[in-house]
Amino acid sequence: MSSREEIIRALQEVKVPDKAYPGAFTAQVVGVDTLTDFLHSMVVVSTTVIQVKEAADASQALDKHFPNMQRVRLNPLADGLSLADIDVLEIDGDFAVAENGAIWLDDSNLPHRVAPFICQHLVIYVSQKNLLPTLQEAYIRLGDKQTGFGVFLSGPSKTADIEQSLVIGAHGARSLVVVLTEC
Amino acid sequence: MLNHAEASEKFITNQERTDWHDDTLWFVRSKRDKASKLLPEWEALREQASQIKEHMLSNLPQYLLEFEAKAQANGIQVHWAKDAHEHNEIVYSIIQKHGDKALVKSKSMLTEECHLNAYLEQKGIDVVDTDLGERIVQFRKEVPSHIVLPAIHLKKEDVGETFHQHLGTPKGNKDPQFLTEAARIHLREKFLGAKVAITGVNFAVAETGEFVVCTNEGNADMGAHLSDVHIACMGIEKIIPKRQDLGVFLRLLARSATGQLITTYSSHFAKPRAGQEMHIVLVDNGRSRQLARDEFRNSLKCIRCAACFNTCPVYRRSGGHSYHQPVAGPIGSILAPNFDKKANVDLPFASTLCGSCSNVCPVKINIHEQLWFWRQDLMKEGLAPAGKVLGMKLMAWMMSNPSVFRLAGGIGRKVMSWFPFLVNNGMNPWFKQREMPAPPKQSFQEWYKSNRS
Ligand code: SF4
Repeated sequence: MSSREEIIRALQEVKVPDKAYPGAFTAQVVGVDTLTDFLHSMVVVSTTVIQVKEAADASQALDKHFPNMQRVRLNPLADGLSLADIDVLEIDGDFAVAENGAIWLDDSNLPHRVAPFICQHLVIYVSQKNLLPTLQEAYIRLGDKQTGFGVFLSGPSKTADIEQSLVIGAHGARSLVVVLTEC
Repeated sequence: MLNHAEASEKFITNQERTDWHDDTLWFVRSKRDKASKLLPEWEALREQASQIKEHMLSNLPQYLLEFEAKAQANGIQVHWAKDAHEHNEIVYSIIQKHGDKALVKSKSMLTEECHLNAYLEQKGIDVVDTDLGERIVQFRKEVPSHIVLPAIHLKKEDVGETFHQHLGTPKGNKDPQFLTEAARIHLREKFLGAKVAITGVNFAVAETGEFVVCTNEGNADMGAHLSDVHIACMGIEKIIPKRQDLGVFLRLLARSATGQLITTYSSHFAKPRAGQEMHIVLVDNGRSRQLARDEFRNSLKCIRCAACFNTCPVYRRSGGHSYHQPVAGPIGSILAPNFDKKANVDLPFASTLCGSCSNVCPVKINIHEQLWFWRQDLMKEGLAPAGKVLGMKLMAWMMSNPSVFRLAGGIGRKVMSWFPFLVNNGMNPWFKQREMPAPPKQSFQEWYKSNRS
């Protein structure tokens, strides 16, 4: 008998009283409004927000924020290693969550799965229209979308493993700028 | 091996460090309180999470098979391991196929439970732990003392010294920012060179065959996305039925663990990248046995947030290593006797049964009750620590005889006031770290008789 069969049989032999699935959970929305809550979460996760009408309007502010650094947008590429030298990577986020600042990125936005982690600094464009109050609405929005890889990303990488002092910039991006567009 | 009480005694010899440890973990616990209070539906979320997990446990084989089928359809290779040894063999055989001698690994309590590092090192494989805290303890040839904060038993001076020895940072530099940067540079090199990456799994979704890994540092993703082979190792209880359940668990996990709104990265892996191999190892290692124990089944609901550690007055003052188990703290003390009752007989007694753990647990495990159940079980089997058995028998006899109880109380009060050194000495474990209270002049019964009759 294979281990698979042994494990399944052992589990089937245990008589566990049946417990019903509780059904979907509906979140109680309480914050001020989605935009205010999102901006607040961005402060909590050490992220700079640039609010503009259209994406193109952000370029001056970004020039100022990243002086003398090259910012790039990339088409899908096969080799993740080549991204290690990128200073600032710009990508589009699908939608974002107000209660925790998480932005959904998946294979359809990413030039390579490692891109948002390996670049030194990251810029994500999100439309204000795509702000959702809680993670629960986010999963409803995601539905059964099939994607090979997807991530809820909230802020730049960080650690507090040395004496609980917060250090921004562990292994992933050292900083995050979110460009929030009106349309 | 030292038992919990002996190891704790060593831990508390440095008063200043003990206090720091205690205060720091309490601070993390307070952050959890603040984060949870921001959500008015917190209690409803805990209840929902608990019910989802109980439902999962009552249908575990079906969900595992559903997960396997979906994951395979997604192009993931699924393996099953009965025990730690088989898990290690499977992982090694995958590595061997690719002929690599080094790999990167992000945090996985399961691989700690299986002692994977030691197994692979013996086979000549260089395992690089990439979580900063885990890398620190790995350099020091220690094990994590906390499942979320692996190096919480260390001070920055210790880390500075360790990095000086292993990474050549300047002696005496203990700046966390500087040391983290040194680790970033050191580990980037490892990420860029590794062909095989191992990660843990926080949640695996039966409905979609995807699994979710949560980190703040981004180390799991750096490893997985740069490698040719990604091996994810998980205990079979990590299954959840539906994708929508992630909304519940991800709202609870980071808030309970560190008081964060969510971890920086909640990565959903469904299919390997083009040209990549993705493997999942499903591990039983005693879980089916625990499932069969009615009193302890619910311990399998655990999502490893460590809130029960941070709130525990015993953990905070004894340190994770005193539990001599990969998972320490209150939940570890319930899981450990399932692996080996005799070797872990001390752990269910390493608790005040105050119940704080059960109150903070995001999946509502009755942790303190289960600790008490284990005590009864271990007493019944004659495994309980000798001192406890004699003391408890005496106590039981005294409590069931009112006249003896009255007499003993009276004698005790007199003895304590006439000969205080008899209790205020090193022989009495309750006197360690404490002042004994002055004995009351009267018992409650005596007071009641003279005042109420
Ligand atoms: S038992 Fe509960 S509180 Fe403790 S680690 Fe598990 S989920 Fe968290």
